Amino acid sequence: MITLNHYLVVAAMLFAIGLAGVVARRNILTIYMCLEMMLSAANLTLVAFSRFHLHDGLPDYHAQALVFFTITVAAAEVAVGLAIIVALYRARQSVDVTTVTKLQG
Amino acid sequence: MSAHNIEIALAVAAVALLGLDAFVPTLKRDIIPKLSIGLVGLALLAMFFAKGDTPAYLASYYRIDSIAMFYKVFALVATLAALIIAREADPVIAHFTGTEGPSTRIAEFYILPLIVCVGLMWMASAQDLISVFVPLELVTVTFYVLVAFARRSAVSLEAGVKYLILGALSTGILVYGIAWIYGATGSMTFAGIAKAVGAASTSKSALIVGAALLLAGLGFKVAAAPFHVWVPDVYQGAPTPVTAFLSVGSKAGAFIVLTRAVQALTATGSQISGEVQTTLLWSGVITILFGSLAAITQTQIKRLLGYSSISHAGFILLALAAGDSARFGISSEGVVAFYLATYLPMTMLGFLLLAVLRSQGVAEELSQLQGLSKRSPGMAFALAVAFASLAGLPLTAGFIGKMLVFLAAVDKGWYGAVGLAVVGAAAGFYYYFRPILAAYSAGKPEDTALRWSLPAKATAAVLVLAIVTLGVYPKALQSALKQNIVLTSAGK
Amino acid sequence: MSLLEIIILLPLLGAALIGFGAPARLVGRSVALINLLLGGAALALLQQGKTLASSRVVLDTPKIAFSVGLDGLSAIMLLLTVLVTLAAIWQIIDKPAIYYTASLLISGGALGAFLSTDLFFMYGFHELALIPTLLMIAIHGHGDATTRRGIAWKITVYLGVGSLILLAGLAALVIYIGQGATFDLGYLTQAAANVKLPAATQGWIFFILLIGFGTLVSLFPMHSWAAPAYASAPTPVAMLHAGVLKKFGLYGLIKVALPLLPLGAKLEWVQNALLLMLVGNIIVIGLVTIHQDRLDTLLGNSSVMHMGYLFLGLAAGSQIALNGVVLLMFAHGISIALLFAICGKLRNQLGTLQFDKLGGLAANAPFLSLMFAFGAFASIGLPGLANFAGEVMVFVGTFDPSVGSLTSGLKNIHWATIFGLWGVVMSAVYMLRAYRKLFFGKPSSGLFMSDLVSSQRLPFVLLAVVLLVAGCYPGFLTGLIHGMFVTAAN
Repeated sequence: MITLNHYLVVAAMLFAIGLAGVVARRNILTIYMCLEMMLSAANLTLVAFSRFHLHDGLPDYHAQALVFFTITVAAAEVAVGLAIIVALYRARQSVDVTTVTKLQG
Repeated sequence: MSAHNIEIALAVAAVALLGLDAFVPTLKRDIIPKLSIGLVGLALLAMFFAKGDTPAYLASYYRIDSIAMFYKVFALVATLAALIIAREADPVIAHFTGTEGPSTRIAEFYILPLIVCVGLMWMASAQDLISVFVPLELVTVTFYVLVAFARRSAVSLEAGVKYLILGALSTGILVYGIAWIYGATGSMTFAGIAKAVGAASTSKSALIVGAALLLAGLGFKVAAAPFHVWVPDVYQGAPTPVTAFLSVGSKAGAFIVLTRAVQALTATGSQISGEVQTTLLWSGVITILFGSLAAITQTQIKRLLGYSSISHAGFILLALAAGDSARFGISSEGVVAFYLATYLPMTMLGFLLLAVLRSQGVAEELSQLQGLSKRSPGMAFALAVAFASLAGLPLTAGFIGKMLVFLAAVDKGWYGAVGLAVVGAAAGFYYYFRPILAAYSAGKPEDTALRWSLPAKATAAVLVLAIVTLGVYPKALQSALKQNIVLTSAGK
Repeated sequence: MSLLEIIILLPLLGAALIGFGAPARLVGRSVALINLLLGGAALALLQQGKTLASSRVVLDTPKIAFSVGLDGLSAIMLLLTVLVTLAAIWQIIDKPAIYYTASLLISGGALGAFLSTDLFFMYGFHELALIPTLLMIAIHGHGDATTRRGIAWKITVYLGVGSLILLAGLAALVIYIGQGATFDLGYLTQAAANVKLPAATQGWIFFILLIGFGTLVSLFPMHSWAAPAYASAPTPVAMLHAGVLKKFGLYGLIKVALPLLPLGAKLEWVQNALLLMLVGNIIVIGLVTIHQDRLDTLLGNSSVMHMGYLFLGLAAGSQIALNGVVLLMFAHGISIALLFAICGKLRNQLGTLQFDKLGGLAANAPFLSLMFAFGAFASIGLPGLANFAGEVMVFVGTFDPSVGSLTSGLKNIHWATIFGLWGVVMSAVYMLRAYRKLFFGKPSSGLFMSDLVSSQRLPFVLLAVVLLVAGCYPGFLTGLIHGMFVTAAN
């Protein structure tokens, strides 16, 4: 029997992997994928809580509504983000974050 | 007209303007900026006649109380100021986007702020975490575009990428935090959370995980330590009007959400109010100290204002942590709103002057300000007022804000925290006075007189007046805020 | 709008007008003149027993009000301010408009600080006056750019930290005595009688206020900003700060600290600390002053030294001593302003203030020589000039029975008085020496000092006459404060 905790643990692992990737990776595209992974972890958590939060035998749909919003927002974020990354690539011929060092101090 | 209709109308108008820009190629360059400013002005006007009723289908997501009204007006004023600054910065933006000719346009630069404004206004009324999340992301994603807008400028692009990554990171953390809070309390609405935090059946550990993630996610947006690292780079790199809008508008939006979240999490009987309070307190103190001490060595004014914005965020966090003070008769949300209201004119004035100076070839370096009092006495005077107020000189707006924060903290008996905050404020006197000193010292003989356009001059005059008025007659604002407190506590 | 509000706002308005391009000299001089007349009118009204007070609430919770009021003490400070302002404004010749703006801001700020009866505005106006002082030293001070920057930062740090300590002390008053409800001085004074703070608490708060206010008045050992700052400051700024603004610290102690914390001021450790510091002012700085070889640093140091007498009167706390303090504050303000004005004239024309390079100036500049004599003799405490009465009252006041009976031997304060009397000798030594070296003896070669043109003489004569009148008829000033300090002394 798969319980709420199983879902939560998997989601937490996803979140941790994503966070570690954001911190450790240097390629912006990889970082971006890791960020998406963190959002997925949050979505999984939301759906799991929703499924196990029964109201009159039915799941609580508020959390699932948020999941749809999150997916939409993530799509918008990717669209804008990739555009900026492409612009950066055009300017630098590189998507390595260690080259982004003009602003310091 | 109800307030939410104004927001919807503004969103529709923004989309219509985008369409106008896309499908009418013969449009003159300055039509869209003017339309945009006009629309915001109209919305501001309509706001004063708006009714506070909310339709039933929105009731659990959205409520119009007076504090929401305050933040809506605040968002509109900030947008208006940002658009005016944008017009002053137009030549610089055009240079970095390759749209210098008269037949070209940079219409999005004037339309996207409207969309941000709608997000900020909606956020002010949000009553549940979904209706917090969506406008917050609307604002953040729009700012990704705005920060990186000057795409031929290496620094703007770089700032854009940094803001993009850290913004997306904070979004991830925020949603995960929302998920855990939902998991712990079984509710998405602030009212439901406030009820559940005190219940014995609520798991304290799940609540702490959720609250910590939520506070971290919002901490990114308000630039609270230790999530402030992106601020100096992004503020320096972004186009000046965007920096201004980011530091005032986006920050205020995040703070209204933070206010409501903290109110819900520390509601009467909450299991975690102590933890939340301590976190906010020390995050606030560290934020103040970091912002103030790191600013001391800065010579780049935009960057300096970035650090200044960090330190001001710290003061607001302190006010949030301190909560209401019966002895001094001030409420936490009132102080936060008051502080932001004082922060708006002084920050906007600073950035307005930077934009005007930059468009005439004066770079944002301290040394470039020398001789400003000769080149334009008015600008030097406005600069002195703005920075004196940022420093918190008595009889300016900045002093009253800081004083209220200190009083609230003293009432809690947090003398150590107050002492550290005072150190931060004292350091502020050093670095805020350097630009004033530079502006009034002798310049080079070849310096020419500087000009500023009538709108810029008028805006500066209004902002100076606002700073002085709030400094010597804060009662007007407090009376307006007083009503809020009554209304919200009735609705709680 | 009440008369007092107009008196405060007029200079600020004038400063703003000049900032926006109004003719600086015209506006500056007219404001100074009008304010002198208005100040005189306010004084006359007070003499007739009219109450001049008004209040506008600017914040409800905590309650802050723009309240102004005139009692004898603030009336004397008002008179001092308008007199010195007039003299200072007249010293500005061929200077950028910012000189007028700064002078008017300092004047307006000082007036606001002296006339406000709400701690918030009292503090705020003082800061308002302080900032242009600092900026003027940094931008238009004498000496090369690095030195004056250094001096400006030094005074900024000292006065900034002093102001913060002061703020902490005032906040403690508001919280402990006013229960946080109000910043109104009148209310706090009444509440102080009911609250009855324990003496130990009062002592701490009084000490914090003493350090805070004391830094502003260059109380030893927080004095080291003062002499270089006055030496470097542009003439009108030096006059206004040394003559007027500096007195705010003492004014605050007399008006706020003493009535609110009567037990704290009498505590033995507070008394001893104060006596130690003020003897430092008189003896240490007195010796330093004797060794100065330039007029500007000599005046700066002498101004620090004379603060010792004022604190002595404060430490005694008897009615006669406090009356003496107020009189001496007025007299010192006028005399030091006069001396700094002369110092400015000499520097402008001669370019140096070194004693060994100058001499025999009286031959060509008899008027200046006479004016310097007035200032110097007043400063020494010659009978017939204003300072004399004040100093005598302070010294006599320390032997007042309320201070302590002499039958059980000399107390610490009496020893301090004895040291203070030596201070009088020291100031006679250095002032007379300066007078002799500058105005008599062998004329310096290549340096010619012409006398003042008649239009420039007016402010000098005004100050000198005030010194003379107040010296011969101090009853006018003490009459204003008659009976004010009875409660403080008991």
